[in-house]
Amino acid sequence: MRGGLIGAVIAREWRTRVVKRSFLIGTLLMPFLAVGILAGTVLLTQATDTSNVVLVEDAPGLISRIDPGSGQAVPRCPGCFPEREKLSYRFTREAPADSVWLEEGVTVLVEYDAAVLQNQAGYLVYDKSPGMTAKRNIERDLSKAMEHARVLGSTELDWQAYQRLKFDLKLIDRDANDDGARVDGGGEEIRGTIGFLFSAVLFLVLAVYGGVILRSVVEEKSNRVVEVLIAAVRPEELLLGKVIGMGAVALTQLMAWTVLSTLAFSVFQFAFDSGALGASIPGQGEVPTDLLTAMAENELTAILLDINWTLMVISTIGFFVGGYLLYGSIYAAVGGSVQSEQEGQGMVMPIIMPLMFAYIIGSGAMANPEMGALTWLSWFPLTSPVIMLVRVAVGVAWWEVVLSWVLLMLSARLVLGLAGRAYRYGVLHTGKSTGWTLLLQWIRGHGK
Amino acid sequence: MTTALSISQLEKSFGAQRVLDGVSFGVPKGAIVGLLGPNGAGKSTLIRSIMGIVEPDAGSIQLEGHPWSREAVRGIGYLPEERGLYKDMRVGDQAVYFARLKGMAKSDAVNALKLWFEKLEVEGWWDKKVTDISKGMAQKIQFICTVVHDPGLLILDEPLSGFDPINARRIVDEVRALAAGGTSILLSTHDMPSVERLCDEVVMLNGGKVVLSGGADALREAGWSGQQDVVFKGNDIAFTNALGTLGHLEGISEEATEGLRRAHLRLRDGGRPGQLLHALGEAVEVIEFVKIRPTMESLFIQAVDRSAAETSGPR
Repeated sequence: MRGGLIGAVIAREWRTRVVKRSFLIGTLLMPFLAVGILAGTVLLTQATDTSNVVLVEDAPGLISRIDPGSGQAVPRCPGCFPEREKLSYRFTREAPADSVWLEEGVTVLVEYDAAVLQNQAGYLVYDKSPGMTAKRNIERDLSKAMEHARVLGSTELDWQAYQRLKFDLKLIDRDANDDGARVDGGGEEIRGTIGFLFSAVLFLVLAVYGGVILRSVVEEKSNRVVEVLIAAVRPEELLLGKVIGMGAVALTQLMAWTVLSTLAFSVFQFAFDSGALGASIPGQGEVPTDLLTAMAENELTAILLDINWTLMVISTIGFFVGGYLLYGSIYAAVGGSVQSEQEGQGMVMPIIMPLMFAYIIGSGAMANPEMGALTWLSWFPLTSPVIMLVRVAVGVAWWEVVLSWVLLMLSARLVLGLAGRAYRYGVLHTGKSTGWTLLLQWIRGHGK
Repeated sequence: MTTALSISQLEKSFGAQRVLDGVSFGVPKGAIVGLLGPNGAGKSTLIRSIMGIVEPDAGSIQLEGHPWSREAVRGIGYLPEERGLYKDMRVGDQAVYFARLKGMAKSDAVNALKLWFEKLEVEGWWDKKVTDISKGMAQKIQFICTVVHDPGLLILDEPLSGFDPINARRIVDEVRALAAGGTSILLSTHDMPSVERLCDEVVMLNGGKVVLSGGADALREAGWSGQQDVVFKGNDIAFTNALGTLGHLEGISEEATEGLRRAHLRLRDGGRPGQLLHALGEAVEVIEFVKIRPTMESLFIQAVDRSAAETSGPR
């Protein structure tokens, strides 16, 4: 019977917020906006990642020579300019006017003088930007060709010997396991970044919906509905109903975002892979056959491919539930003790400090995802909702996740009980005196 | 007579302040009991104790002859003085919500609410938001939310505040009808005329104590100090002489029509109305002979003054 009452409170909280134009618009719009940004990034990358023909004006003749047969400038080190799908080179001693080389199909002109070997700088001239990837490849190719020129200019080294002596160590990441079976892994920084992105979303959702609870409780007091309510429902049950109800609103939004984002992404992927979108982009060259390849070529979108979405979504929801019960009940207790939302916001500042601290530490985890403090903070209930997500993304033993979550839920239950006691006195408190001292008195059971 | 609500030696203190000090009274089934008292007398704390919002320090509360329980409280229709509605909800939705909190199934709640909405002529406001309706209309909705689950006991705290006279009369009629149908009602109000019109019994609180209680008629009768209103036709001097030792004149006035005169008089100690009427009848033609009983307001003021005098009496 009591469950039915709490159910009615939950249903009201959920219904009045979800069946609302602003909620529906925000919930429906956000996934499409997110996928839209992703689509924009990919398409823009594709659009700018057009085939580039580079004319290198090698005036000092450092990296090119004149082929006696053709009379054309050719690279001294052909191996320095590997074949690339969308990048080709031409060489000249003296470039024609810009309008001329542009007319000839050249998209980019590189120019430098003899001082380039000292100052290591030149110019990239273009009408339309060749894009970051192309620029990086041009820099890499020309650097290697210059290096070749320097080696050739040295009396002590020849290029073949230099190439033999050159040492380029590549380290492949592997995770060490107790059972000795190593698996490819690593990329902690990227995964730390991914974890931080999720924890940042969780931090925002906790803070925003905590504020919603606070506002709702203050409104019930100022609307003077609360006395009618607590005549039918125990204050503790009302508080529980409100926290769960609004948590359900947040979960609804998170789940709707997940489902709609997946749907929108699938639609975009289908459209992209079928070539329907590629053809519509002006000036675009060859379009990759699938979206995932295109995403992998962009540093930003490549991160999205590294995310274990299932694990992260489940962890986010799990820690959201615990974190929300913990922080939401504190917000509700504070809301019950104040007369205005503004007053409440001032009072909750000390409460959300641990959460903000966790957020800051979480941002540090992007650079150093395996810092020692993360372990302890990921078990501490006030910080675990945010920090554990970073650790889950980087990789953590399952028992630690379970332990952290259980500790979080137990703390949430304890805080919910204490908040209920404070709320019981608070919701009927109409005096001007507020503050933590009063709230603590109520928790101890002293009050009107 | 069985009681719907029985309160015995209820005590409650907030810190050093004793708000309820051994309060005892009962609400008989089907009766309307007025709970009166000046501000700070402990009425709200008493009501909140009955509703389980405040936990009493001592004493007992029985509902329908059974010890107080949360489930029994849910059956009570409670209209608090501090009441309101959700501004962001439609009127019908929140009426259904409140009914569901009282344990009604949704379909039953909707059906019962529709009937009440029609009865109080607010059916057109079902889909409106509270921000779109007047204060009086909101008060009607709150009243409906209080009675929709057909409670056996109603606790109404200032139910007429915010109503214009016409709608106040309407609510009074509904309260009377509910009582006639067997609902027991505890009515807390400062509106003395409504107490006189509605209440079968009265409980007056002051300083957390019951300073006066009993049947409304009995209390007024007991508080009668010998005042009589007499309308007569005849000579003033003959009338005054006829009073003799039975009473003394407090005032006389001439009516505008038909030469009728109205006199206000008070019986002397030991005088009986019958004796006086007989004496007057021999001197003038008595048209009306009406006993003037004290108003609830005057009883209330007397009781409060008496209680205050006792509290600050000789030490």
